[in-house]
Amino acid sequence: MQLLATLGRRLLVVLPILFVVSALLFTALRVLPVDPAAMSMPPTATRDEIEAARRAMGLDQPLPQQYAIWLGHVVHGDFGRSIHLRRDVVELVRQTLPATIELALCAMLVAAVLGLAGGLLLFALRDNPAEPVAETGTTLMMSVPEFLWALLFIFVFGVALQAMPFTGRLDPGMIRPDITGFLLLDALLAGRLDILRSAAAHMVLPAFALGIAFAPPIMRVLRSSLLDVYHEDYIHQARLRGLSETRILLRHALKNAILPTLTLMGVQFGFLFGGSLLVEVIYSYPGLGNLMVDAVRNADLPIIQAVGLTYCVVVLVINSVVDGLYLTLNPRLRAR
Amino acid sequence: MIRRSLRSGRVIAGGLIVLAVLACALAAPWLAPHDPDEQNLLTTLLPASWQAGGDPAYWLGTDSLGRDVLSRLLFGARVAMSVALIAAFGAMIVGAALAYLAGYVGGWLDWLVGRAVDVWMSFPPVILSLILMTGLGTGLRNVILAIVLVDWTRFCRVLRSEVIVVARRDYVAAARLVGFSHWRTVSREIVPATIPLVVTLLTLEMGIAVVVEAILSFVGLGVRSDQIAWGQMIADGRDAIYQAPWNLLAPVLAIFFTVAGFNLLGDGLRRSLDVRMTEGRE
Amino acid sequence: MTVLRAEALSVALRQGGAEIPVLNRIDLALAPGRVLGLVGESGAGKSMIGRTVAQLLPPHFAVSGGKLEFAGRDLVSMPPRARRALLGREIAFIPQEPLTALNPVRTIGSQFAEHFARLGEGDHRARTVAALEAVHLPDPAGLLARYPHQLSGGMCQRVLIAMAFASRPKLVVADEPTTALDVTIQARIMELMQEMRARDGTAVLFITHDLRLAAQVCDDIAVLYAGSVVEQGPAAAVLGGPRHPYTRCLQLAIPAMTGPRRALLALPEQMPGLRAMTTLRGCRFAPRCPLAAEQCRAAPPPLGTEDHRAACFRAELTPTIAPPEETLATHIQPGNPVLDVAGLGKRFRTGSLFRPGHMDAVSEASLAIASGEFVAVVGESGSGKSTLGRLLVGLERPTAGRILLAGRDVTAGTEADRRHRVRNVQMVFQDPQSALNPRRRVAAIMTQAMEAVGAPAAERARRAAELLAEMGLAPETGARSPAQLSGGQRQRVNIARALCTVPPLLVADEIVSGLDVSVQAQLLNLLRRLRAELDFALLFISHDLAVVRHVCDRVLVMHRGRIVEHGPTEQVFAAPRHEYTRTLLDSMPKDFPMA
Repeated sequence: MQLLATLGRRLLVVLPILFVVSALLFTALRVLPVDPAAMSMPPTATRDEIEAARRAMGLDQPLPQQYAIWLGHVVHGDFGRSIHLRRDVVELVRQTLPATIELALCAMLVAAVLGLAGGLLLFALRDNPAEPVAETGTTLMMSVPEFLWALLFIFVFGVALQAMPFTGRLDPGMIRPDITGFLLLDALLAGRLDILRSAAAHMVLPAFALGIAFAPPIMRVLRSSLLDVYHEDYIHQARLRGLSETRILLRHALKNAILPTLTLMGVQFGFLFGGSLLVEVIYSYPGLGNLMVDAVRNADLPIIQAVGLTYCVVVLVINSVVDGLYLTLNPRLRAR
Repeated sequence: MIRRSLRSGRVIAGGLIVLAVLACALAAPWLAPHDPDEQNLLTTLLPASWQAGGDPAYWLGTDSLGRDVLSRLLFGARVAMSVALIAAFGAMIVGAALAYLAGYVGGWLDWLVGRAVDVWMSFPPVILSLILMTGLGTGLRNVILAIVLVDWTRFCRVLRSEVIVVARRDYVAAARLVGFSHWRTVSREIVPATIPLVVTLLTLEMGIAVVVEAILSFVGLGVRSDQIAWGQMIADGRDAIYQAPWNLLAPVLAIFFTVAGFNLLGDGLRRSLDVRMTEGRE
Repeated sequence: MTVLRAEALSVALRQGGAEIPVLNRIDLALAPGRVLGLVGESGAGKSMIGRTVAQLLPPHFAVSGGKLEFAGRDLVSMPPRARRALLGREIAFIPQEPLTALNPVRTIGSQFAEHFARLGEGDHRARTVAALEAVHLPDPAGLLARYPHQLSGGMCQRVLIAMAFASRPKLVVADEPTTALDVTIQARIMELMQEMRARDGTAVLFITHDLRLAAQVCDDIAVLYAGSVVEQGPAAAVLGGPRHPYTRCLQLAIPAMTGPRRALLALPEQMPGLRAMTTLRGCRFAPRCPLAAEQCRAAPPPLGTEDHRAACFRAELTPTIAPPEETLATHIQPGNPVLDVAGLGKRFRTGSLFRPGHMDAVSEASLAIASGEFVAVVGESGSGKSTLGRLLVGLERPTAGRILLAGRDVTAGTEADRRHRVRNVQMVFQDPQSALNPRRRVAAIMTQAMEAVGAPAAERARRAAELLAEMGLAPETGARSPAQLSGGQRQRVNIARALCTVPPLLVADEIVSGLDVSVQAQLLNLLRRLRAELDFALLFISHDLAVVRHVCDRVLVMHRGRIVEHGPTEQVFAAPRHEYTRTLLDSMPKDFPMA
């Protein structure tokens, strides 16, 4: 009940943000030097024909008016048609979004597992001679962005060891069952274990490339929050009550230290979701990222606007979920 | 403060790496064995000189147009370092100015800046910079501008909460009570307390700027195609991964070393200046 | 049968091969049902003894000699597992900061359940409710689902006491259990501890800095100084007729609640730090001792074995130590009014956009201060006394009433008002740690008021030298940074900054709380001297009634944002008219009889 109220309140914050985001997006793209109308016409088109196309696309109107028209359509779920691909934009996003979310969730899982395990390890190494070495290790790990991990993984596991597939979502020749768009889930629903295996194999490299890049900050924050928590009175008091160290870590320290870590993971997910774009491009993974990059190269405005907005919506949804989770874990923030 | 940080191993290691890359960038015309744009279609995609089929004249091999990889790597450092230095300073100036204003003045101004950061943070940085580059068009100056417009929030977010903490200290109130003007209070009492954080963030942002520039150039939306950038080299080298792996590996390692240099420097500074900050990176 | 016995117990800090003694051959014995008080100033080592009992010493600290026995079993040589089995079961601890000693993300019920589960006792819920009932908490069953932040400090301490006594332990170690609490709550918590101790026949090791409280609570007392027990014996004997000069000096440094106001004896300097201790060959108190002779600096005096024993070669001279022969300035002639406040109020908005609320921190406060007058505002935490101070200096805007300062209405807080305030009122903040910019030198901090008007450097340096001398600080202190100073020195710098331009009114917010008694006495004497030399009025905000009585001519009592009583200090203390003032005065531990 409280959670619902909070989510409702959160929506009141999110909607204005989305409005401002869409306005910014629209304005930023209208300073574009290229003329989307001219690009949508064959090279033989005359000036008048281009003018007519401009009018048809509403590009001759003043900017606020263009925005109002566009927003009116968007509210009704109409993002227009792609100039380049000549297809409905909503349809294109619907086809690619699940793939990207699937990748991002798998990557976040990798980041969370590596991050939490690494954080505990770093914490266990406190006051140990190996500590500076481990910490320098995380600094160096932080210096490898996700697209370099992606390239390195292709080079090592794909090309040198030939251990893993690194293009697309499935082996060539396999036909994917289209139920929800989430391939791993669809394969399970269809009972096709061969497809599940192939899809999982194709997921490993991109998910690890993306996840490993975002694990080090999680490690560090978990470690430093654990260090902070262990200075708190209630840990000392728990020791004075004779509780075992394991119990103190699991039942007292982690419950508190996870809170700042969770906040960070919320922020990280936004970055990770954006980072999926590069990984998709490198692994030819058919998701939002590839759609976006193609659209950018072709100055395909309707797609750029729709995909840009989609990224924001997903980030805001995830942030709201993390906020709600934070609230359930932190009694101090709940209404007194 | 400076002496203390110079005793840190990380600061020294990071500083040396950054200085080395900077030196490569400045001295590229003298260090490079070849003209980086000189094409030789007879010797395309040579592997590195120590590999089978390598040519000692081309130490790291040649690319698909027969251009010397090592020379292009050295010249690529120029773009990387210009972006790192200028964009990071730009983002710092915008973000820090807003952070000091919001944190010190508070009230509706703080609210406004806070909401602006919220709006910006709902864009994944990569997506926002791509959209901006679409609007601005390619070119070094626009890459820098895009990074400033995206990354000012990194400074603003962290610095603002630090300014709020410092502004609540009694010595700031005391300074006002003895008659300090707002300007003097901020410049003498608040800014000095936050300098370590700013310096640390600035260093880390330089590493981030190198990465963002590489990403943009990699997808073809960075510098113009006649400029040499590591991201472009990676995009080109990807196709020749079997014949001439160093086409790909050389710029990958260059980016890694540069970013690692900035990160080691920033991490060392953070420790020796005892800066607390929430972590988070692109 | 002794519950706890220490024999020549020593604890040392090992640092880079060197061994710095922290506790020095401590002998203690605690019988069942008795309360042993460990008394001393910060750094004396009293908390270290508590931690040694639990064998939870900070890193690099270790027992370096002697024995520590619990019910006949040696705690030092006991394997960790066996020792841990004793904790929370036979030895329980009551902490100093109740609000932070409970896990903030777990309910009271779940923390109790964990404790009972470990004790191996079934039916946690009924046991918990019974335990909470025993400490007189209202609605114990409802408390189970509450989180620590939903309780007040006093309630949290009751919960912790319930947990400590839940296993009917043989020994309870209470480390400053009421220091973080208000005095009215302190009285009730001490009562409760006595009740629980009587119920279970528990022995209590009571660690405190408060001599008066110790006199009231303890059966026996050990006075610690710089890691050694300097005096030990039955509480009545030790505090009724101290034999060690340090105990006597501490008593004379505490302002009295009754009887004539006397000048305070202020010990010079401070307790030696860990490093300094290693270089002292003789009695560690000798450098500050008014009785110190050649003999004292040569070798440490033995403690002796009498029932009431003191480690002093010249114990027979102790009663001759007397407070300075000074008459305290009585009421000065009231001058012109400096401050005239009428109907002042401050309402803070609380709650959210959806559920707006408000809280009146100060309401309808009226007071006037004449030039040269020292006026106190007393009250407990949350009474609004600090907000009142902040309203007067302009750090908060009032939401009602008016402030007349030196003839000008400054209620609106315009820029012109601010300039007027800068000349006429200054504030000394409570915590010098936060009030002094760590990046600046002492001399620069003290003359900040001159920096604001662009005074030349030479003039500032001259004034800084004057101020240092006035505050009793060495001239070279000016070049130091605040971090290099002791707590008392920092507070002097803090006062010096406010007095740089000698404003007609000074507002001082809890400037001696959190300081050791001997340092507090130094500062109170300084305030008195400054009053004689300079011309300023003081609004002295404090929770400590004894200090207020010592310093101020008039007193205002605040309760829940309102001034409930005001009048001349002696009159209010002798015949309080408001119910709350009476409760406040009754809660104060009584003076000990002074020889």
